Amino acid sequence: MSRWTGRFLILTGAGFLAVALSLASDPPRRAPPQPSAAPEQNLAIVVNLSNPTANLSMAELRKIFLGERSHWPNGRRITLVMIEPGRPERTAVLSLIYQMSENDFNNHFLHGLFTGEVFASPKTLATPVGVRKFIFNVPGAIGYVRATDVDASVKVIRIDERLPDDKGYRLHFPSRPSN
Amino acid sequence: MRRQTKHLLRRTTFGSVPLIDPLLVSIARYSSTLSFLAVLSVVTIAGIFVMRDVKSTNIEAQKMYAGSVLGLHRIGELQYEAQETRRATFYALTTNDSNLQVEYADQSREADRLVSEGIIEYLRHAQMPQEIEIGKRLQMDWSDFLEVRNEVLASILEGSTKEAVNLDQAGGVQSFDRVRQDLGEIKRLYNEQASQRLANVVAGSRRFAIRLITVLVLTLAFASASVWAIERSKMLAAIQLAELQMEFVASVSHELRSPLAVISSAADNIVDGVISRKDDVQRYVGVIRNQSRQITDLVNQILQFASIQDGRSRYVLRPLEVSQIVESVLGNTSELLQGAGFVVERQIEASLPGILGDLSALSQCLQNLIVNSVKYSGESRWIGIRALLADSEDRASPEIQIKVQDHGIGIARSEMPHIFEPFYRSATVVDAQIHGAGLGLSLAKNIAQAMGGKLSVVSEVARGTTFTLHLPIARRQDLQMAAGAIESTPTIENE
Repeated sequence: MSRWTGRFLILTGAGFLAVALSLASDPPRRAPPQPSAAPEQNLAIVVNLSNPTANLSMAELRKIFLGERSHWPNGRRITLVMIEPGRPERTAVLSLIYQMSENDFNNHFLHGLFTGEVFASPKTLATPVGVRKFIFNVPGAIGYVRATDVDASVKVIRIDERLPDDKGYRLHFPSRPSN
Repeated sequence: MRRQTKHLLRRTTFGSVPLIDPLLVSIARYSSTLSFLAVLSVVTIAGIFVMRDVKSTNIEAQKMYAGSVLGLHRIGELQYEAQETRRATFYALTTNDSNLQVEYADQSREADRLVSEGIIEYLRHAQMPQEIEIGKRLQMDWSDFLEVRNEVLASILEGSTKEAVNLDQAGGVQSFDRVRQDLGEIKRLYNEQASQRLANVVAGSRRFAIRLITVLVLTLAFASASVWAIERSKMLAAIQLAELQMEFVASVSHELRSPLAVISSAADNIVDGVISRKDDVQRYVGVIRNQSRQITDLVNQILQFASIQDGRSRYVLRPLEVSQIVESVLGNTSELLQGAGFVVERQIEASLPGILGDLSALSQCLQNLIVNSVKYSGESRWIGIRALLADSEDRASPEIQIKVQDHGIGIARSEMPHIFEPFYRSATVVDAQIHGAGLGLSLAKNIAQAMGGKLSVVSEVARGTTFTLHLPIARRQDLQMAAGAIESTPTIENE
């Protein structure tokens, strides 16, 4: 091997090494995306327009939703309206009001109806529009929809003296598109 | 004799109708225009009647359609929607699926909204007290039914099927029956109204047909009467013309025969030597000359009348003094007046303005008036001629008036409208055997009009007559122009 050949090999090897090192090194780091706070939506508790009740405590609301209270103060039978499983509103209600899983919720009502502790099982509607229409038709109905889905056909009641837009309102959930 | 001939002619040629014929004669001149206007009027009136009837029938039919047919249609829809309200409520009973129940509730509410709107619409159109009463009752009964329906729907949605059925049986059935009865009553009302309006339309159509037929019959009758009247008026006019022509021939023959007889007799006497003395011969020749002139005057009058009728008469207009005209007339008639022993009183205002006219024609006009006065003077032998400046009845500026006045037999009021008609001679003068062709006044009137003036008459029986020739004063520029162009001889054509 000649001296020149040896020098060429050394230089070529050095070049490859440099390229390999440069490829192996980390690219200039960007700041990782900070997990932003998910926008939240309020959940409105709605009743029939003829219902004189304007405010419920969280405890009263829970009692009604659990089926432990059968009538409104005006004598009307309470009919609970739930939206179908899988909807974020239902998930939020199970979490915030019932503090139960879907299975626990089902078991609660099966057991309650069997023992007579629960007076009626909730009505299940497919869409928020269906919920609104049901409540509009039934004077004793109570249900929930997103605050943005509320219209003039139903009445929003205060929970612990707060409306959905008020500060300190407790019924809210992470936003996700709804049908 | 002529009158007898005239009456005989009328009797034998045509059955006269005393009241209608004079009217027909007077309208004969305008027969085409009058008949056109009459037929136009009848057709217009018929058209108005027909249009009015068609319009009223149309309005009635529209009312019937709008008020009854549409009303019945609306009530039919109301009945259907009311049934739909109840039916949708019952459909909700057939399922346990809340979503379907809500859908049926929606359908029920949509149907009830349509019914409520329909009731409001019905009340808005209701006019009769009965309609309003039923409408309000329906509104109330529907409201009662909806209250029950709402409770039933609520029970169904709550899941209380039994309670829903009980509620419906307790109140829903009765209230819905009342609604159905109300709707049935409204329907019956609409049916009655429709029957009434249909009867009105039928009556209107019958009335329209009767009127149309009546109007057509009247139009036909009127048209026939018009045609008859026109034909009759034409026939009368032709007969009248024939009568006038016969009268004219008889009159002219009579007027010619008398002087010709005198001329013939005088000539025979001279030729036969009956008259031998020179004075007598001169007197007879004078008679022949006078009678010849009388014949010449008559022939001239006839020729002048004929030329006026044909529109061939020509007048040479030139500036004239009134005194010049009067002198000319008196010169022409002096022999006649003196021969008959008349006294002529002449009053001509001084400084009268000039006129523009034909001296010969104006002289002829006044001469006819003077001859007329002589003929009808009766016992009187006085004629007055006055010329003056006076206000005109027809124009703003003053006019020249030349009056020829006599104290003769006068003209009866009934004769007045006819005295200027050609060939007209009153029965009185015919009976009195006063000779004449009946052309003098007609010619005088024509000349007066051709000179831009007119002829008027005032007369009283047994007191006398005054004819006035009205002539316009010539304007200065007309006088100058006429004087300058006298050689070119300006003429006007008489029509």
